[in-house]
Amino acid sequence: MTYTTGVLDILVIEDHIGDYILIEEYLGEEHLDIKLTRAATFQEAKDKLVNTHNYKVVLLDLSLPDVENNETLVKNMVSLSTNIPIIVLTGFANKEFGVKTLSLGISDYLLKDELNAPQLAKSIFYSIERKNIDLKLSESERKYKALFDFSPYPMWVLDKHTLEFLKVNDAAIKLYGYSTNEFLSMTVRDLWVSEIKEEIQSIWQENYHEKFNTSVKHLKKDGSIIHVEILSNPIDFDGRAARITQIKDITGQKDAEQALKHSEKRFKALVQDASDLIMIMDFAGNLTYVSPSSKQMTGVSDIEMIKNNFFYYIHEEDLKSVKENMLKLHEKKRIKIPIYRIKTANNKWRYIETIITNLSEDPIVNGLVANSRDITEFIKQENKLIDSLKRYDIVAKATSDTITDYDVVNDKMYYNEGLESIFGYSKNDIENTGAWWNEKLHPEDRERVRSYSEDVKNAKSGNIQIEYRFRCADGSYKYVLDRSYLIKDEKTNTVRIIGAMQDITEIQNYIQTIEDHNSRLKDIAWTQSHVVRAPLARIMGLVDLIQSYPNIDEQSQLLKHINTSARELDDIIRNITRKTEDATLKPR
Amino acid sequence: MLKVLIIDDDDIVRLVQGKLLQNSNFTKEPIKFKRASEAVEYLNSASNEHHYLLMLDINMPIMNGWEFLDEIEKMTIKENVYVLMVSSSIDYNDKEKAKKYNKIINFIEKPITSKNCEQLKELPILKPFFPQPN
Repeated sequence: MTYTTGVLDILVIEDHIGDYILIEEYLGEEHLDIKLTRAATFQEAKDKLVNTHNYKVVLLDLSLPDVENNETLVKNMVSLSTNIPIIVLTGFANKEFGVKTLSLGISDYLLKDELNAPQLAKSIFYSIERKNIDLKLSESERKYKALFDFSPYPMWVLDKHTLEFLKVNDAAIKLYGYSTNEFLSMTVRDLWVSEIKEEIQSIWQENYHEKFNTSVKHLKKDGSIIHVEILSNPIDFDGRAARITQIKDITGQKDAEQALKHSEKRFKALVQDASDLIMIMDFAGNLTYVSPSSKQMTGVSDIEMIKNNFFYYIHEEDLKSVKENMLKLHEKKRIKIPIYRIKTANNKWRYIETIITNLSEDPIVNGLVANSRDITEFIKQENKLIDSLKRYDIVAKATSDTITDYDVVNDKMYYNEGLESIFGYSKNDIENTGAWWNEKLHPEDRERVRSYSEDVKNAKSGNIQIEYRFRCADGSYKYVLDRSYLIKDEKTNTVRIIGAMQDITEIQNYIQTIEDHNSRLKDIAWTQSHVVRAPLARIMGLVDLIQSYPNIDEQSQLLKHINTSARELDDIIRNITRKTEDATLKPR
Repeated sequence: MLKVLIIDDDDIVRLVQGKLLQNSNFTKEPIKFKRASEAVEYLNSASNEHHYLLMLDINMPIMNGWEFLDEIEKMTIKENVYVLMVSSSIDYNDKEKAKKYNKIINFIEKPITSKNCEQLKELPILKPFFPQPN
């Protein structure tokens, strides 16, 4: 058995020179390169050990002149030669004590009487190796202990069965606020908040012999609650069945998560419950999100709608403009697509306007966010208005009406071309004031029109319908039927009067003609009835006379009178017929 | 005594009315006038011992029935005069106008019949002139 690694330094503590020489001989047989140092007394050995640190092994004879008590000697030696194995050489009589020295930290003991070279070499070799292993072991233990003690994560060791704290580290003390002693008088159950006690108990039971991780809520000493993630492993702790648990405080993380959840919920609500339709798509119109309001707006559910491309829903005629608008998103962050039509579930169209924001750069959204508003009702109203204005324009042109627009507040009156074509006023004649118009009214009608207009202004109804005479440029008067509409402000003051002056002169003249004819016919009828009745009355009188008095004289003369009167009546009737025909209205 | 005057421009009407008045025993001698002016003359010189019933046509040339009535108002014997307006056709205007003349005791639309005569005799104002035959 040989050493190949350098010089083997050995301290031999032996007061007996003979024994020392003997040891030197034995060692010489086995080792080529050894260096022996001899100490004859404890004091000498002590000096050498304090000054020199190269000894690989110490050989110690227990019978030294300056130490009485062997046990004291051994203890002192062990403490002096930390990390150096000590082999005790002893006489046969001290065998028992030799065995005892092992428990005091001695590597081996050899009986001097039985000593031989191989035995000594073997013992030295084993002692050195064992000491090396011991050193490594204690170094490793030291390292692990440091890992536990100085870990930034709170850790503790619990009794596997009772869950009593056996050891806690500084981080745990700092986090929970309990001192080491307080911890060691507690079990981990004291940390569990009541609401999770059952849950954590069952997790622990299920994993009694296993490692497990879970998240729980713990109570701190100050009563506040913390969220922690725990990782727990079964270990052997100084021979005791135990668990080592590592704690990670995730309270801050939980709070942040909760805050995020709330914020997410809020935004979700904004998107999902809003009446606006929210869509997320790419430039090709592929949809990645459609808000549930699609159902309300188009009758197509969000789940259905997302199956098709955005462009699929757009009216053919609007598609080009929508696509052109979307291309602007390459340069602008946000664009507005004014008015276009999208298809509904029952194949009708809704008018919408959309604001698209390009959030392609945003990794969470990664697309174009389209916010659409239904403006169908608005468009319908607008179309109605346009139609009515168009109709009004057409009507104004088609009729001979003169359209007036009186701005009451500013006393400004405007006319269409009717004032020129019907009443003969040239543009230069017309003054745009209410007074100018008033002055054109027939003097006999002026007061009536004024008071009627006042009445209407004060009444709830905003319609005027009145007839009057209006002077033409040539001084003649035309009969006018005026239909006006009063526009009121929110305080019900009349601010504008829109009117149509219809020239009813011809009608009025016609009516006059009819009335004239009527009265003439009435005249004729009245006169003629008298004329007619005269001969008739005579005939009746004659007949009555003859009937009442059958024996009346000159009967033939009376009959002759009847005849004459009858002829007269006949003539008159023919005459009336002729006259009436003459008086019949001639078409204009 | 009640004297009955027929004032009408129509010859046949005067003839018929005259015969009717005689035959109905209304009067023995009806006094006939073609012109109202003639009747005015007659009445102006008439005695106020008598009463006069005038059967007056409204529509007459020169002086019509209304003008004649105005003349009567000027007469001294106007209290003794009763007027029966007679017309071939009576309209609303005539009736309104008649309200102004208290002389008018009735309106008759031509022709006057025998039945009319009997009714006239029963009028309270005329009845005294027609004693009931016992």
